Amino acid sequence: MRLLGAACAALVPWAAVAAQGARPSARLDGSAVAALTAAGPVPAGGGMATELRIVHPVLMLRAGTAAGRLELVATVDFDGWTIPNGELAPGMWGEGFVDRRHPHTFAHELMLVAHVPAGGTRMTLAAGRGFVPFGTDDPMGRPPVRYPVNHHLSQILERAVAIVALDRGSLRVEGALFGGDEPQSPGQWPRLDRFGDSWAARLTVRPTLRPGAGLELQASHARVHSPEHREGSGLDQVKWSASARWTGRLGRAPGYALAEWARTSEDRGTFVYHTILVEGALESGRHRPYARIETTERPEEQRAGRYRTVRPLLDDAILGVTRWTIVTVGYGLDLAWGRLRLRPFAEGSLGRIANVRGGFDPAGYYGGTATGTATLGLRVATMPAEHRMGRYADHLEQHDHH
Amino acid sequence: MRRPCATCLLTALTLFAGACEDSNAPGNGLALTAIAIPPTYGIHDTYVRDGIAFVCAWNDGVRIYDVGNGVRGGTPSLPVLVSRLKSPGWGRAHNAWWFHNPNTSERRYLFVGEEGPSSGIGSSSGDIHVLDVSDLGNPTDVATFRVPGAGTHNFWMDESAQILYAAYYNAGVLALDVSGPLSGTLDAARGVSVQPGGAGNTFTWGVQLATNGWLYAIDMLSGLWQLAPGASPAVQPGGGNNVPERYSSDLWVHGEYAFTGTWGHRSTQYGNAVKIWHLEAGGAPVLVDSIVLPGVGTVSDVEVSPDGNVLMFSAENGSASGVYWYDLNVDPAHPVLLLHDPVDAGVHTATFATIDGRLYAFAARNPSYPALLIYDVTQLLTP
Repeated sequence: MRLLGAACAALVPWAAVAAQGARPSARLDGSAVAALTAAGPVPAGGGMATELRIVHPVLMLRAGTAAGRLELVATVDFDGWTIPNGELAPGMWGEGFVDRRHPHTFAHELMLVAHVPAGGTRMTLAAGRGFVPFGTDDPMGRPPVRYPVNHHLSQILERAVAIVALDRGSLRVEGALFGGDEPQSPGQWPRLDRFGDSWAARLTVRPTLRPGAGLELQASHARVHSPEHREGSGLDQVKWSASARWTGRLGRAPGYALAEWARTSEDRGTFVYHTILVEGALESGRHRPYARIETTERPEEQRAGRYRTVRPLLDDAILGVTRWTIVTVGYGLDLAWGRLRLRPFAEGSLGRIANVRGGFDPAGYYGGTATGTATLGLRVATMPAEHRMGRYADHLEQHDHH
Repeated sequence: MRRPCATCLLTALTLFAGACEDSNAPGNGLALTAIAIPPTYGIHDTYVRDGIAFVCAWNDGVRIYDVGNGVRGGTPSLPVLVSRLKSPGWGRAHNAWWFHNPNTSERRYLFVGEEGPSSGIGSSSGDIHVLDVSDLGNPTDVATFRVPGAGTHNFWMDESAQILYAAYYNAGVLALDVSGPLSGTLDAARGVSVQPGGAGNTFTWGVQLATNGWLYAIDMLSGLWQLAPGASPAVQPGGGNNVPERYSSDLWVHGEYAFTGTWGHRSTQYGNAVKIWHLEAGGAPVLVDSIVLPGVGTVSDVEVSPDGNVLMFSAENGSASGVYWYDLNVDPAHPVLLLHDPVDAGVHTATFATIDGRLYAFAARNPSYPALLIYDVTQLLTP
């Protein structure tokens, strides 16, 4: 019933709840994806698994005061109801899940944002639970439905965070203090006593001076205290990310491209993981072809069952490091029904698993080193499928739907 | 002597459990108490001797409890914290051995194993730390021993020979001369290591000097090995490369039998087995049976009661986690289940200790609510 409720909630035509153009302003959007996914190999034995799930069911509120100085950003994510045991996604890992994407927390974002003009510089202050200014955009708002393996290397989210952002010309500098603890379950809130034990900084350059369009370059750095041990006794991470993001036109067709590199080092270099990802999408009429290639290293942790790793952690050991190289291609067809945006889509991935170091034998465990995923689905939303999240320095009216 | 059937005993214990249930402890009738431990990584191992329990509580350091010694008036049902050492220079207290030196009658040193991060089964880190516990109320760090590129794990001692045997993961088995005063950084010349499975096939979990005179080592990759003890342990033929399907974990040797646990997942097999070995006349281990437990992901600690009648092991990472006791009295080659105390969070280690003539089990409940569980298991021995 909960799953049905979440699906219905997302199917309700939420758009235009917003009072666009008027101030104070508010916009409430909803989105959900029904996905039939076949994926393999199944851990500990091989073969394929097939599941029908509602994924990424979210409600998003962005409201601003009359002067536009103060905004509330709230996103409720119903993953905890629709995929309590995660979503099939070979290679994906994090928060105690492996080869399945973990459910996000119900309170995905709850941020209060203040925009303060100061001459030629605009300052933004943001605080609450949300995205840390580090790395690239949340995969939920990018063209492929499948999450990349590098999610935990390239984004930091659902944290108690306070952000200061300065915009001047084409430059944006963001700094944040936050709590390093990542959530362990959908209903969990950050530990307040962990707030401030971690920090991040991101420099963004937008040569076109037009937010959300043209070329955007970012480099970011984060020092995260004990992300995987909530009480704070775990290993610290040092993270780097650099990316180039482009939106514009290829001929007459709007396009999008992203190239990113990221590196996470744990325990002062005891464990190091790298990722490189390139993805792109085109809009040609109603047609939405897209593609992604990534090569990402991940830890192989002691498992507690096929798709779960031991949590809470008992020690700082891993079995080894594997590299997942995955090519994803997909096609969506944009349709409209009233205010609803519908996108039936088909998406497929093929990949290889390689042992980088340590004693984990992917061929032995999975029965082979090839991996594949096929998804047929329907995205239903009141906003564009591609939407940026966690960019709190962007004004409401600037919020980029690429 | 015949003992009552396991089912009868289990039934009796279960009925007894209903009468003695304690909100602070598992309800199986054997449980006395549960001592909460700060939720860092919880307890890894507990060493109990002379009524003193040394609890290795990872980032929370070494906690010393009086559980019947009398130094603070503690008892197994009401342990009293004597002291706690949380050294600023190191963390991850994993295991310990309180050295009773029969040559000098000293009870001065506590050897503590530090388990550092390991990057896959192939490399590891963590030093041996020596604490002076002459004053149990004020333990002090006095010495350290390091093997570059390797980390220590479980210990055993030949106390009369003043040799500490340390399982050293990828460095194999290390024999450390601990005679004389210990201070500062211990000279590397004090230690000699051997890799039983050879380079790339060695990740040694535990070691034990058996009463048959042989040293046994359990290696996660290459199984159960027989070694000649001494300052330079030597691998003996007949053992090793004998558990290919699973990673091995802990071991215990008693009389003519050895018992070894299994860990994690190797290929498609989980660590849900206890292997039972007969030690031949020359000491070589021969596998005679296995206990396979559905719903268990790792058997992380194995021990036999001092009289050889009860096998105890801890289990974690599965729906059937907890502490298991098996009867060895009828046939040690084929143990019979006496009792299982289910513990949802899992139990990482369990050890026996005899205090005032009664047998107790000290078990480490895993986080999120780590605790030292203490059971009076004397009745399991009662014919």
